[in-house]
Amino acid sequence: MTPSLTLEFVKETMMEYGTAEQARQNRIRIATTPDKVLRAIQHVLGTLGCDRLVTISTVDNGTTFELIYHFIGPHRTVVSVATEVPHEDPWVTSMSGVLPPAGIYERQIHDLFGIVFRGHPGLKKIILNEDWPPNEFPLRKDWKKNPDTYYGGIKEGWSRHA
Amino acid sequence: MMTPQHETFSRRLVNWARVKSPWITVFNSGACNACDIEIIACLMPRFDIERFGILVKASPRHADILIVTGHVTLKQASRLRRVWEQIPEPKYVIAMGACGASAGAFHGLYHMMERVEDVVPVDVYAAGCPPRPDEIMNAVITCLNLVKEDLAHGGKDWRQNRADNVMEQENERQDERT
Repeated sequence: MTPSLTLEFVKETMMEYGTAEQARQNRIRIATTPDKVLRAIQHVLGTLGCDRLVTISTVDNGTTFELIYHFIGPHRTVVSVATEVPHEDPWVTSMSGVLPPAGIYERQIHDLFGIVFRGHPGLKKIILNEDWPPNEFPLRKDWKKNPDTYYGGIKEGWSRHA
Repeated sequence: MMTPQHETFSRRLVNWARVKSPWITVFNSGACNACDIEIIACLMPRFDIERFGILVKASPRHADILIVTGHVTLKQASRLRRVWEQIPEPKYVIAMGACGASAGAFHGLYHMMERVEDVVPVDVYAAGCPPRPDEIMNAVITCLNLVKEDLAHGGKDWRQNRADNVMEQENERQDERT
């Protein structure tokens, strides 16, 4: 069995990308900046021996979005790479080139939070309906449903004599 | 029960068969799958609705009754309408569970039509979250009583007409009062 990752090893190898801390047993969190995140992820996939992306989670902190990439590997340690992007003009480099399935998570985050993933080959709608209005991001904290806006679905009611 | 003169023998035979063996199609319009599991429980030996002649069909084109499980998401609304349009007349709709009536636990979310009634006309509501198999069977039998009543009156329109008449009478009474 592959031994678990130790915090010392992660700290040593990830020094140039950001700080590492042990949240609890078998969970290591690395805080980095948006311009370094792609290289940090490549490093996590290579040196740290992680081979799969669990998920990408996003938090709206009001002024910033926090993107957290969770990785796991045969050592059974969850490595989370966290980065913060500003609320105005939120963008981050896409990691779909490194790990193609991540592109699906990125499309979902783009739908619900409006974060732009630069370099993504097809940043289309995946989870919202096709006629959802543009520039409406329902999971942002400051979003409210506007009663005057048409959000899709069925416009006209049914008619019994149709 | 009077049989109208224009009803042929074959028509009466079809009507008899329609009530004896309703075919059902189930459409999940964004439910949490609990309703679908209860429908599967209906089909299993313990409840076994096939002994009443109730068959669950995969295609809406073969069905008489449409069971809609769940609230209607914006994405599913046009699909639900399309499925409903494919069912041959006379068609009946059962909205299943708390979600079908009022979106239930999902009320007020950003991607909801809120009610099945907004998309397709509903004849019977089955209450519960999820409804037990006996409640589903009760809903289907209530729906069959509606079918019988409608066939005796020559179609689904009479209910709408009756509702209109009731409204007219109400309005007349209101006018008399004022």
